[in-house]
Amino acid sequence: MPHSALRLRALAKRFAAPAVDGLDLEVRAGEFYALLGPNGAGKTTTLRMVAGLLPPDSGTIEVFGGDALRNPIAAKRLIAWLPDEPMLYDKLDPLEYLEFVAGLWGCEPRRAKAAAESLLSDLGLWPHRFERCEGFSRGMKQKVALAGALVHEPKLLMLDEPLTGLDAAAARLVKDILAARVAEGAAIILTTHILEVAERLADRIGIIVAGKLAAEGTLAQLRAQTGSRGGALEDMFLDITSRAA
Amino acid sequence: MTPLKSGGFVWLLAHDLRQSRRSFFSAFGKAGGFKIGAMLASVIVALHLVAAGVVAGLGGVAPDGVAAWFAAGALATLTWMVAQGLTGAMRTIYARGDFDLLFASPIAPSAVLASRALAIAAEGAASALLLLAPLADMGALLGHPSWLAIYPAICATAFAGAGLGLALALGLFLAFGPRRARLFSQIAATLIGASFVFGAQVINMLPAHAREAALDMLTRSAPGSWLAHDGLLYLPARAALGEPKAVPLWALSGLAIFTVAVVACAPVFASAAASASGSAASGGGRRAERAFRSGLRANLRAKERRLVLRDPWLLSQILMQILYTLPMSVVLWRSGTIAGSPAIAFGPAIVAITAQMAGALAWVALSGEDAPDFLATAPIDRRDLDRGKLEAMALPILAVLALPLLGLALAAPFGALTTLAFSLGAGASAALVNLWRQAPAPRRMVLRRHSQSKLVGLIEHVVSFLWAIACALAIFGSWTALIPLALAAFALWLNRPRRTPPMRAAAA
Repeated sequence: MPHSALRLRALAKRFAAPAVDGLDLEVRAGEFYALLGPNGAGKTTTLRMVAGLLPPDSGTIEVFGGDALRNPIAAKRLIAWLPDEPMLYDKLDPLEYLEFVAGLWGCEPRRAKAAAESLLSDLGLWPHRFERCEGFSRGMKQKVALAGALVHEPKLLMLDEPLTGLDAAAARLVKDILAARVAEGAAIILTTHILEVAERLADRIGIIVAGKLAAEGTLAQLRAQTGSRGGALEDMFLDITSRAA
Repeated sequence: MTPLKSGGFVWLLAHDLRQSRRSFFSAFGKAGGFKIGAMLASVIVALHLVAAGVVAGLGGVAPDGVAAWFAAGALATLTWMVAQGLTGAMRTIYARGDFDLLFASPIAPSAVLASRALAIAAEGAASALLLLAPLADMGALLGHPSWLAIYPAICATAFAGAGLGLALALGLFLAFGPRRARLFSQIAATLIGASFVFGAQVINMLPAHAREAALDMLTRSAPGSWLAHDGLLYLPARAALGEPKAVPLWALSGLAIFTVAVVACAPVFASAAASASGSAASGGGRRAERAFRSGLRANLRAKERRLVLRDPWLLSQILMQILYTLPMSVVLWRSGTIAGSPAIAFGPAIVAITAQMAGALAWVALSGEDAPDFLATAPIDRRDLDRGKLEAMALPILAVLALPLLGLALAAPFGALTTLAFSLGAGASAALVNLWRQAPAPRRMVLRRHSQSKLVGLIEHVVSFLWAIACALAIFGSWTALIPLALAAFALWLNRPRRTPPMRAAAA
């Protein structure tokens, strides 16, 4: 059985109301996991806690067997986090940005440069590698940010709405790149409101409602849970979320 | 729902005023209406008490002297208002805000411009009246009822300033294009805003005979000329003094300047705003292929250096602070009381400049970070990151300091050495204040960074002032230099971080 890339146990975070409420979740290495849920369900809060951006109130986070709360630096070496709003520097060009990211993650410069050039080329950004990001469209910025998330070869990728702003061709390209990373053994957690993406890409799907996991499994398992025969994920999602609410 | 006719100028103005009101009150955090009212009332009472003292002090001054003060004040206010108008117009054009929505609607661009220009004028008038209205009120109470004319005079000045600023902004936009206009306008606004101070300094720096000739020309000009007391130049001052003919004349002039500027600029305003939206696109051009840098520090230094050097607006703002300080140093140097010692004149100024630069650059690197969440996900201890950023910012400060220190070393080696030591201390103190009290905000807020925390701004200024005083005393060879140093250390100790913020613990 493949070993665990991410294991959350009784994870909880409360703001005015509980945002994440005793969440148990496990994602395996080499697995594409889609974390779905209605707005405000706690998806982004969960990922922000795993990324080390928010301290949980209680619970544990293990990344590839290591305690991410006790040793966050070691966990961060393995993680990439791509939020829904690209985190870029407007005055840097894509190549400089990727160089900076590689420096932060302590990558070997020659290997990082080759990886950066390959990613820019794959994502269609090579002709723009010397242009500053401030002039880029939303989709181009998203691609630069994705290249930044991939350049240090993370073992666990957490992607929040990664296809936002991308045209159909770019979206297909990104999906292919992500699938290739999964095939190489990386684990990917993706949150999206475009359920077709989850349906097509994910090995397993988790549906979170009010900070708790309401349902989890492969598409077939979810169908069995909801009694839906050949139904679309959208129908199952609406059914599960309305029952759990 | 507003009872005003939708889509009209007044309706849009009411919408803008509502936005401004909410933005003003949000600056007080969660304080309620009563608390905010009490705070504002306290400030107004305090300003009136200070103004009463000023009015009482002017009691012994001859009428001509009071008129000279009013003339100087009116000229300073006008230049400041023009600078505010220019800055406000550029901010309106570049920030865009809701322009996409407004220009996509059937509202006339001239109505949008008039509404925004009026907001700029109102902001300028409110800022000036905050300081000058107490003077008018207390002057009226203490036997000078004509001083109430300060109110209409300031409003007219605000209209004139907004109109001239707007015209200048669009002129610069047309002359230099959207990419360069913002930088030039910032420089122009700073120079115009400080022109009165610079002018006074230039007159002070002139040789004695030239200075007397200049003052004579300003004060005893022939009747009928524009420099004469009954001429155009003194119109705002005469209006502020309550001269019956001057008040309506200046009010009409202000309104006329504003109206002409809005009408003349309206046709180009929408296209300027539209072209500003794409002005950020700037290519770095082709550069030589090179290997990636190795290590965190080298990459941090490169990133911070690039971000600062590629932001000419930011650079211009920081360098302008130096420009402001230099004329005063020259005046101090020429002053007989300190026997023309260059070390005394320039040493404390260099210390103050270092603290200013260090404070600004430390804030840019720490609080003005463009992607704080991204850095928090990197596998680096937060303290290493902060240290690396501060190191990166130390280099440009040392580069700027090198030349004046070298010049000073040739004239006064001991003074230069003392200045270097105190500059390092002042710079480190200013950086520490910004390290301990980080307040994330966009880096374009660098000059208004203290609006987020008045306390941090106050501590930064007090500490740099104390280091400058200590430097002056040390150059004199006085042991009393230890007193301001102890006070600076005490101010820093009060400001020390008392506990690790939760986010930092998580990010580490």
